[in-house]
Amino acid sequence: MRSTRQSGSSTVWSLLLFATLALFAVTLYLIFVVAPVEQQMGIVQKIFYFHVPSAYAMYVGFGVSAVGSAVYLLKRDPKWDAIGVAGAEVGTLFCLIVLLTGPLWARKAWGVWWTWDPRLTTTLLAGMIFAAYLALRSMGNAGEVEKRFAAGLALFGLVDLPLIHYSVQRWRGVHPTVITGKGGGLESEMYWALGLSFIAFTGLAALLIWARASAERQREETARLRFELMHR
Amino acid sequence: MRALIATLVLGCTMLITPLALADTPPEPDTGASETQEDAAEERAAQFVGVRGPEAESVSGGALLLSAYAVVWALLFLFLMRMRGLQRQTAEELERLSAEIQASKDR
Repeated sequence: MRSTRQSGSSTVWSLLLFATLALFAVTLYLIFVVAPVEQQMGIVQKIFYFHVPSAYAMYVGFGVSAVGSAVYLLKRDPKWDAIGVAGAEVGTLFCLIVLLTGPLWARKAWGVWWTWDPRLTTTLLAGMIFAAYLALRSMGNAGEVEKRFAAGLALFGLVDLPLIHYSVQRWRGVHPTVITGKGGGLESEMYWALGLSFIAFTGLAALLIWARASAERQREETARLRFELMHR
Repeated sequence: MRALIATLVLGCTMLITPLALADTPPEPDTGASETQEDAAEERAAQFVGVRGPEAESVSGGALLLSAYAVVWALLFLFLMRMRGLQRQTAEELERLSAEIQASKDR
């Protein structure tokens, strides 16, 4: 029964991988061939098609980490702890992508690498909170106390996510807001490229979280076996 | 002796050349050469900072390429790290299996 379930999830994983790779290929074509070059900023604006979906994937990762941590605190099931770790790692990866690609775009658009804009600052803060989570988890074999403390940290990091999103509306800043509820300032080809990029990055984030959570569970299981063997 | 003569010739050359150059009549004064000289003097004498956001022209293409390279490089590093973790776990499992087998044999 377990083997059938494993085989099924392996098939779903392979399908998701194939679909994501195909989507990335189409997205790259749309970004570099179909979508027009922006009038004011020029070709550097094409960073947008990876930068914004990366920010979205960061939300997904950190959100998954917070949910996994919350359920772990309630149930104490190691499966949810593994999901929490995986979400935090993948979220931090995409946060790093956002924080590195953003300044490259900003250098051309604003003339500076970095500015203490509300959105930039709150994104950096989220990255630092989850980096602290990962630092805590990487200190040898994390015990129950470390796991619970890290889970609390992930929930604390969750509070920062809406702040990142609404900081542009609440506080005035220089960060662009072309995607709004009132309709954005994008041309139709740009919308297509961005939309597909969103889907591709969601698939990528899901794949990475899945794979990382699976690896973490195996690592935990191995540690448990080693502990049992030592105390037999 | 030859060395002494050579030293004398060299010394005389070093003394006479600056004097000979100082006596060279100045070249006819033209507008173009004056502009060049001014530019050269200005370049050598001061550094003037450019003010405003467009302080330096940066190639958008290079920035775009760097951004995409960053994305792929980070993803690649993450995958490499996961591969390392998997390998470590596999090795640990193998070691544990061997230990279990050894304890059974005993």
